[in-house]
Amino acid sequence: MTYLFIILYAITLIYFALSERTKKFVWLLAIQGLILFGVVFFSLNKIDIFDFIFILLETIVVKTLVVPWFLNKVRKHNQLKREHEPYVPVFYSIIVVVIILIISFMLSNYLNDSQMHTQYFTIAFTSIIFGGYFIMIHKNLFSNVVGYLIIENGIFLLSLAVGSIMPIMVNLAILLDVFMGVLILGLFINRVGDTFKSVKTEHLSKLKD
Amino acid sequence: MMSLFFILITAPFFVGIILKVKAKFAARKLPSILQPFYDVARLFKKGAIYSTTTSFIFKIAPLVYFVSVLMAALFIPIGSLKGFLSFNADFVYFAYLLAFGKFMMIIAAMDTGSSFEGMGANREALYSMLIEPAFFILIASLALFTDNNSFYGLFLNLHISTNLSYILGLAAIYVLMYIAMIENSRSPIDDAKTHLELTMVHEVMVLDNSGFDLALIHIATWIKFSIYGTLISNFIIQNEWPLALQIGSFFFVQMAFAGVVGLLESFRARNKLEKNPQWIIMLSAIAIVLFLTTLIITQKIILY
Amino acid sequence: MILFLLKAVLILSLGLFFVPKNRKYFFTFSLHLALVVISSFLIFNTFNQVASLKFPFLSLLNNTIYIEIDKLSAFFMLVINFTCLTGIIYAKAYLEPYYKSKSSLEFALHYFSFLWLHIAMLFVVMFRDALAFLIVWEIMALTAFLLVIFENEKKETIKIGIQYLIQMHIAVVFIMIGFIWAYSQTGADFSFDGLSVYFESHNPLPLFLIFFIGFGIKAGFIPLHSWLPHAHPAAPTHVSAVMSGVIIKMGIYGILRVLTYIHHDLFNIGLFILISALVNGLIGVSLAIVQHDIKKLLAYHSIENIGIIGIGIGLGVIGLAINIPALTVLGFAGGILHILNHSLFKSLLFYTAGAVYTQTHTRNIEELGGLIKKMPKTALFFLIGALAICGLPPFNGFISEFLIYSGMFKALLSGNLQTDILLFFAISGLAIIGGLAIFCFTKVFSIVFLGTPRSDKVTHAKEASTSMILAYALIAITILLIGLLPVLFINPLIDIVSIFTKDTQAIQQAIPTLNSISISSGLFIVLIALFWLVRYWQQKRQNIRKDATWACAYTGANPAIHQYTATSYADNFVQISNQITNVKKEFKNFEEAEIFPKERTFQTHSSDKIEDYLIKTPTTFILNFLQKIGVFQTGKIQHYLLYAFAFIMMIFILTLLNLI
Repeated sequence: MTYLFIILYAITLIYFALSERTKKFVWLLAIQGLILFGVVFFSLNKIDIFDFIFILLETIVVKTLVVPWFLNKVRKHNQLKREHEPYVPVFYSIIVVVIILIISFMLSNYLNDSQMHTQYFTIAFTSIIFGGYFIMIHKNLFSNVVGYLIIENGIFLLSLAVGSIMPIMVNLAILLDVFMGVLILGLFINRVGDTFKSVKTEHLSKLKD
Repeated sequence: MMSLFFILITAPFFVGIILKVKAKFAARKLPSILQPFYDVARLFKKGAIYSTTTSFIFKIAPLVYFVSVLMAALFIPIGSLKGFLSFNADFVYFAYLLAFGKFMMIIAAMDTGSSFEGMGANREALYSMLIEPAFFILIASLALFTDNNSFYGLFLNLHISTNLSYILGLAAIYVLMYIAMIENSRSPIDDAKTHLELTMVHEVMVLDNSGFDLALIHIATWIKFSIYGTLISNFIIQNEWPLALQIGSFFFVQMAFAGVVGLLESFRARNKLEKNPQWIIMLSAIAIVLFLTTLIITQKIILY
Repeated sequence: MILFLLKAVLILSLGLFFVPKNRKYFFTFSLHLALVVISSFLIFNTFNQVASLKFPFLSLLNNTIYIEIDKLSAFFMLVINFTCLTGIIYAKAYLEPYYKSKSSLEFALHYFSFLWLHIAMLFVVMFRDALAFLIVWEIMALTAFLLVIFENEKKETIKIGIQYLIQMHIAVVFIMIGFIWAYSQTGADFSFDGLSVYFESHNPLPLFLIFFIGFGIKAGFIPLHSWLPHAHPAAPTHVSAVMSGVIIKMGIYGILRVLTYIHHDLFNIGLFILISALVNGLIGVSLAIVQHDIKKLLAYHSIENIGIIGIGIGLGVIGLAINIPALTVLGFAGGILHILNHSLFKSLLFYTAGAVYTQTHTRNIEELGGLIKKMPKTALFFLIGALAICGLPPFNGFISEFLIYSGMFKALLSGNLQTDILLFFAISGLAIIGGLAIFCFTKVFSIVFLGTPRSDKVTHAKEASTSMILAYALIAITILLIGLLPVLFINPLIDIVSIFTKDTQAIQQAIPTLNSISISSGLFIVLIALFWLVRYWQQKRQNIRKDATWACAYTGANPAIHQYTATSYADNFVQISNQITNVKKEFKNFEEAEIFPKERTFQTHSSDKIEDYLIKTPTTFILNFLQKIGVFQTGKIQHYLLYAFAFIMMIFILTLLNLI
């Protein structure tokens, strides 16, 4: 059953490469949250009930509801519509996503390590690399945070991979990262957007000294 | 032989059902399901006008297109009924035969010397080029999954039992459905209703065809839909069922397929034309994910 | 007896210079025919017996040079003979317009070079001794050079010819280095057979790479291909056809011959060939799509088809390495059959393109159009060639691609993960190449032959002459024969492939499949004829009119201007592949203050990135650098004497100071 969710997650990554509208990014993040909920529900069965409920709540509430709602609010406030012209055309991005997928599958096949759950490792690796690639090609501040959140999803899956028990500590740390990221985004976009009147990252380089 | 018979029977109703579903969702008056049938019958009674710019290519192209689609239908099995022709790696022959038909239609469109038809021909050439790898990768994954090399053997051994193979089946149906819509130039690649140069791909290629040729082209479109519908129904029909149940579920799946196509057309807007190539490549990407899934199922990639 | 006849032909060829001008053609043609008959006898003998044919040819200085023909060589001889024969048949009509403007000596030289090209190529596949091989290889390159510069009144042609010669010599240097290295390491025979001793004891990859570079320059592997797209348009058509059809295959022959001696460590070699070939196919066809010169376009397609041959061979070698006999046998069979197929349909395409050039005097497809009304037979044969090159059934290109696909699908089922991922790339690569070839040839055929004329160069075109049509027909019949009845050609192929591996079971299993393909293709043609009859019967009772193109009732435009052009057709594709095709648009924008705009021009221009980086940039850099040094060459004797005195002074002072 977890394989189903892994394949669905891979397909959402492909849709991330395909889409250009910020609204769709937010939707896809929500769907990823839902998929992670499914993954956790079907695979974690060796920890206590309290931690289990906590993680379930975290995925459903934070990843699927709170963060997308917040991002939507920011998007509407700044009237961000679509991503203008990423650095690499979408056609090539899809090819890159597929190549990253193939490489991570082959990698996890060679890492014949029975200590690690390679099912999750594969998709976690893809997610992290793709999140970084996503930040690289898009010019928008908003997309930066979306890419950052994709990386966080990947780290969540990675923590599933290295142990079937998910320590509360790791989870809290991830939550903190997520909150910080989204908070900074909110601050940035609201303040910076008001000052610079746009959210392109090129303008940010004026801030360097 | 039997499978050809069934494919041909369900063909004329396809477009009728799609139009009916679209009309229902748009709250319009419903045309009869047999309407396309009457259209084609009317065309068979008419004469034809040939353009002075065209040559023998224009006269022979609709024939070659129609015969290529008809011959492609000869390969498709239904459940445990074998197609008329079947040999090893026959899906390669299938794909290239359809490509031959497309080639002739493209040059016939360019033959008229009109810029409209050149536009349609150009777009059709690009899109059919982009969809080729998706089809081949899909068939390669299915061949790998069933350890078999021809259409008949593939579908005979297709047992969808474990969880993972359900995903395979679902994703394969998804990809095949969109391949069918791209090959017939329906949404989201093209809008068959409007004759705007902005969006036309297939409709505009046949602007100058009339009479018998146009009738053949319409029938070929129906048969193509029917072929892909049959491929999809093969995923659902299990070979252990009795023959009557197989045939019954075949008709049911064909109708459901037509209905779903109508649904998708009603609710999904057409893509912006420049975005079409990347959308089509996305289908190839999903086919590649399918391939990787098959590698997991057949234990070539070992994951713990 | 055979030997005597062969030597007689060689000596008689000198007589070409003494025959009067109007008899030259007949003399050449008969010599060619004699050569074909003699070598066919040898080929027939080789295919009929199990061992290869071997007999001494020449004895010089106590060294005997042997002719050794095995099945692989015999196959190549067949390809060479057929294409050269159709070439000389075509040349009769093609060279007629030049009859008055060229002297008797030029014609003699041209025919002599053509004959000796044929002879040299036959000997290339017959000799195994390295020195003899290199000598006839060199003769092949030189005669090809002489043939390319036939139209030497144009300065460009001579420049291109010299560029061709230089690249061929670089190839010879690499091949020589390969042989010398093997000889110096093992001390075995200085011949191909001596290579086997080397390969048994050393790692085969480095030496194979040296040979690959040498033979690859000849074959046109990317990035060594830059001579191809220039030499083919510059040469006269029958020479381009022979170059594209046969000379490139000599490179493939060399690679195959070297491969027959390697028996271990094959995986890396196979991987290298496969990846090079995939790159070749994709880049070759992408660049072909954006060309406007019809012969340059066909030259880039040759690069693509070399890629397809390479995919077959690479897969065959990988099959040997991982021990999947089905992949080996079907891969090699598909690749080798594609050699024959490509020489057939490429020469047909070149001949028809040459006929178009003779009638319209332009190779730029943007100026053509509507030629099908004036040259219907040429158009039909071009269509057959185009359908064959795209690999569509029922023509021959499909059969070789089908064999390669069968091999890939069989190996997919039995391979491990690495093999499967590799095969996945190969299958999708071959599918994309096929789709792109269809894109390109629909463009070429439609723009050149269909629609309405785009300029007035088309108005005086007439149908090609009978000898040209004879050449086309011979090739077209063979194409249809291979396409409809492939089983006739399978048995020789099995013999050839058994040089590489003994387990040829997979091809035996493929014979029923090929029979089914023949039946399906036959059914296809029968059904077309049937529906044609039905339509004829229906239309007899109806009103059939001829009128102007309807096209949504848009009648206000001049069709010559408002049709699709080649650039617009390719534009679609260029948008997604601009990194490879490098199309640049040059135009000046309108300014805001310009109220009454003046005339503007718009140009698109595509260039070959690899050629730019590898050849143009370094040579321009070197030329600029040398120009700066050229300041010293003033042309005055006084300055040169000054240089001499300065040098002597310098030596004197340096000796005094004990520095030298």
